[in-house]
Formats: sequence, C-alpha cells, structure tokens
Amino acid sequence: MSERTLIELQGVTKDYGKGKGVFDLSFSVEKGEVFGYLGPNGAGKTTTIRQLMGFIRPEQGKCQIAGWDCFTQAEKIQRITGYLAGELSFPEDMTGMGFLKLMAELKGIRDLKIMRELMERFELDPHGKIGRMSKGMKQKIGIVNAFMHEPKLVILDEPTSGLDPLMQNRFVELILEEKQKGTTVLMSSHMFEEVEKTCDRTAVIRQGRIAAIEDRKTLAGKRKKIYQTVLKDQEAVRRFLAEPGIEALQYHCMDGKVSPAPNQTEWTIAENRSLAEALRILAKYEPQSLETRVQSLEELFFQYYEKGGEEHDLSSTV
Amino acid sequence: MISLPLFKRNLKLAVFPFLLILAVLSMYTTVIIYMYNPELAETLNTYQQTLPEMMAAVGMTGMASNLLEWMQIYLYGFIMLLFPLIFLLMIVQKLLMGMIDKGTLANFLATPNSRGKMIRTQLFSMLLWLFLLMGMITVIGVISCEVMFPGELEIETYLALNLRTFLLQLAILAFVFLAACFCSENKYYYLIGAGVPVLCFLMQMISNMGEKLEKLRYATIYSLLDAEEVIKQGSGLGWQGILLLGMSLCMILIGVKRFQRRDFFL
Repeated sequence: MSERTLIELQGVTKDYGKGKGVFDLSFSVEKGEVFGYLGPNGAGKTTTIRQLMGFIRPEQGKCQIAGWDCFTQAEKIQRITGYLAGELSFPEDMTGMGFLKLMAELKGIRDLKIMRELMERFELDPHGKIGRMSKGMKQKIGIVNAFMHEPKLVILDEPTSGLDPLMQNRFVELILEEKQKGTTVLMSSHMFEEVEKTCDRTAVIRQGRIAAIEDRKTLAGKRKKIYQTVLKDQEAVRRFLAEPGIEALQYHCMDGKVSPAPNQTEWTIAENRSLAEALRILAKYEPQSLETRVQSLEELFFQYYEKGGEEHDLSSTV
Repeated sequence: MISLPLFKRNLKLAVFPFLLILAVLSMYTTVIIYMYNPELAETLNTYQQTLPEMMAAVGMTGMASNLLEWMQIYLYGFIMLLFPLIFLLMIVQKLLMGMIDKGTLANFLATPNSRGKMIRTQLFSMLLWLFLLMGMITVIGVISCEVMFPGELEIETYLALNLRTFLLQLAILAFVFLAACFCSENKYYYLIGAGVPVLCFLMQMISNMGEKLEKLRYATIYSLLDAEEVIKQGSGLGWQGILLLGMSLCMILIGVKRFQRRDFFL
C-alpha cells in the first residue's frame, strides 16, 4: 500500500447466498480523490460500505483505511471519517438539534461552528422531532452529521436521495469544495449525473463484482446519446437502421419500458461517425419527430457486458 | 471506560419505564403491607384451603406468622418476579435491541467510540437501572412497614430477601441482554428474551401446583429465588445466590463478546 492510498480493498468477499453479496472486490482510493461507486440497486454498494465502516466483517480479503483494518480498528478509522448512511435511521424521539449535538459530543467536537454553517447552507431547521421530518430533512441532518467534524475521508451512501434539485446542487458544490480542501470522498450512487459532476474516478459494480473502474472522461465518453425517431412506417425504420453509422438500440425494453410502435425507433450513432452525418441520413427518411435522451445506467451496463463478452445473465439485471 | 454522552441519553430513555414499573411495584408493596393483619391472614388461609392449586400457582402458599412472611407469600411469588421482568425487557429493548432493530446503532458505531465502550455503557446503564429499581422498592418497603407496623419487620432478613431477588433479576437481565446481543430483529428478541423467562415462570407456577410436577422446578431459574429458604436462613447470598451471580457473569461476558464481533446490517 503506497503512501498516497487511503482506502484499500483486496479480494474482499461477503457471500449472502443466492448470488447476493460482494465477491473478490479489489480497488483502492487515493488521498484527495473523489471516488464514485456506481451500480444499480442490490449490486452490493451498501455491503461494501458496511465493510468499510466496520459494521460487518469480510469473509475473505483485506479491507483497510489509512492502513487500519476496517473491522478491528474501526474506532481509529472513525476519528478521520464522516459517514452518511443510505438508509437513514435516527432516534425518532430526539429533535434534529438534540441528535446533532449528541453526535458532536460522541465525536468529541466542542466547536459547533461548522455544524451551524452546514445547517445554514442546506437551510436546515433542526428544531422539531426527527420522527416527524420528511426524507429530505433527514438527509440534510445526515449530511451535516457527516461533515461537521471536518473529516479527512467521507463515505456517502446515495447522498442526494431525497434532496430537491436545488439542494442537490448545493451538495455538489460542497463536494467540490471539500475536494479543493483535499478531503477524500467515496460516494455510492445509482445515478450518473451525481457521479459525473463530482467524481475523479468511478467504479462500476454489478452483481457484487467490479465491472470497470473508469476515470471521468472515459465514463462520460462511454455514455452515449440515444435518439428516438418516428418515421413513416416500419419499412422505413428497417431501411434506416441498416444505414452505415446508424446503430439500432437493442436494449430499449430492458428497463421495463413498453416497446416502441412499429414506425418508431431508438438508435445511436456509431463511434466513428458524426452527428451531422447521421442527421443527413435521417433527413432522407422524412422523420416525423426526433428526441434525444441519455443512456440509462442499465443500458450502460449492457454496453459493458456486451463488449466484455463475459457470461452474464442479462435477464436478471432488470 | 464508558461513554458519558451515551450514558446521559440512556438515562433519559429509561426514565419512563422505570417510573412506571416503580409506581406499580410501590403500589403493590404498600397495599400488601397495608393489608397485613392476622385476621385477614386467616381468611386468606381459607382461600388456600378452598383453592389450593390456584393460590399455589402464584406462589401464595404457607402460613404467614409475621409481616415478612406475609410479604414473601404475597409479593415474591408473582409480583416481584413478573414486573421486574417486564421492566428488564423494556430497558434492554430501549437501550440495545431497538438500536439494532431500527438501525440507529449505525450512527453511534460511526463515531470514534469502540464497540466495547458502547456495549459497556449500555450494560452499565441497564445494571444501574435494575439496581435503582430494587433499591427504591426496598426503601419503600422498609418505610411502609415502619410507618404502618413499627418494629414488626425483620429488616435484615428483608434486605437478604431483596438481595436474592436482585440477583435473580440480574440473571434474567443477563439473559435478556444476551438475547439482544444475538438477535437482529425485535421479533426474535421478544421470542427468546421474553419467551424463555415467561416459560420458566410458567413452569415455576406449574411446579408449585402439584407433587407430580414438582420436578419441573429444576428446569426453571425462578427456583433459585427460594424465598422461604432465604427467610429461614436469613442470608441472601447462599449457593443459589452465587450460582445466579456466576450465571449472570457468564451470560454478560458472552453477550459482550458477541456484540464486539458480530455483523450489523445497518
């Protein structure tokens, strides 16, 4: 483990049976890096984070933060770590303020300045019982709790769930500021947008295994625009899709959407072709409408496995 | 050794169940003491003759020749066993099991306090609350007796009886604590933590009823209270007390170890 490495996982396995769990995970996160951990629900993101936090013990492999073992030396790790759980569970009988003060005491912080700044930043009114708070309010409390002791490392499990777009932006700003300060961030997500804006590198996890670790540019590059077009009839669609440079999307039904009408199609542009060329070709077919959308996470996964040629049961991804 | 902020929170959490159970036990204790008079003792003896099984089941057997025996018969067969059990189930739920079941434990585990320190804090709080409950009931018992029947209570023997009762409840606390350290969900905690003591309690009741079923008393921890014997001997510790203490210690140590090493799906 080099000087620069803060988090290191080597061959970490936790098998819950029936293909659930994480298997032979290996990756490392450098100091000062913002590391994304991207995967669909049930892929093993939270299981990985639980092991980093020392809540569960890996069956095999090594899981370390700053050279300390995540399970047996959790206490030391917690001193430098801030944590935001994916499933927030706060004592419902307490007020937000009461809870944050208790957490501050347990973390041994006397100066509550940063806590107050964070509350202002996220427009959090912490008075009132936690049991009556909305999901978004609880999320804000969780964020304040994770950052209030100026941790060197923050581990965030789906940090923006429940936040409105304005607060999501403030959160992204916060992460970028922390990055400037040199804080290391590991953040899990099932949404690209979140990861794309903030993360230097992103691990893509699926069915408990790391599918790829990409830096920001590669990840953005892999993510294609998808064009939805309505043409005159089915025959036109068939001929259009056969044109060079036009690739039919094979994955459009995988996330449970209804199949398109016969004269409708979803397509992407081949890697070596430009948008202008594609549009010139499309124009010949007299399109009735053209819409674009970005590829969903499931579709990106499809792309990874299609290219990797690995044996994966794709039907189980949906 | 222990975490002070967590301890302070525990005090707040347990105060309601404490006051509730203390109020119930105080009421029973004072009412039973108030009811003590030789005439009524005779009436109750007739009950024992007409409904021997019923009265025996709740441990109400024997002739009360003095105030302490009266209290032993009518308080220590049922009330002083059942209500502390309810109290223990409530505080272990509030101070430990609830945190595991609801997942609030994650917040505490994510602070720089070791699991050892956290479980010691919770355990210390539970022991303290049990001690306070038994201590206050003892004080209330002594005061009530001295007010209503000055000089009638053999205080030393009463203290011995309450010491044994405390040791019995300690062993039950240790068992309920152990159950919480092993369970991940409330339902299993209640099934084991409440189920086993209640089963023991039922077996105690059945064994009280008849000679044929008397052997069941060897299968229940409540036999180790042996209140009659405590009063005869005047000693609260005895081999039963030492056994209870030993059992408590073992169960607590296993529980703590388990808490430190287990997985928490929080």
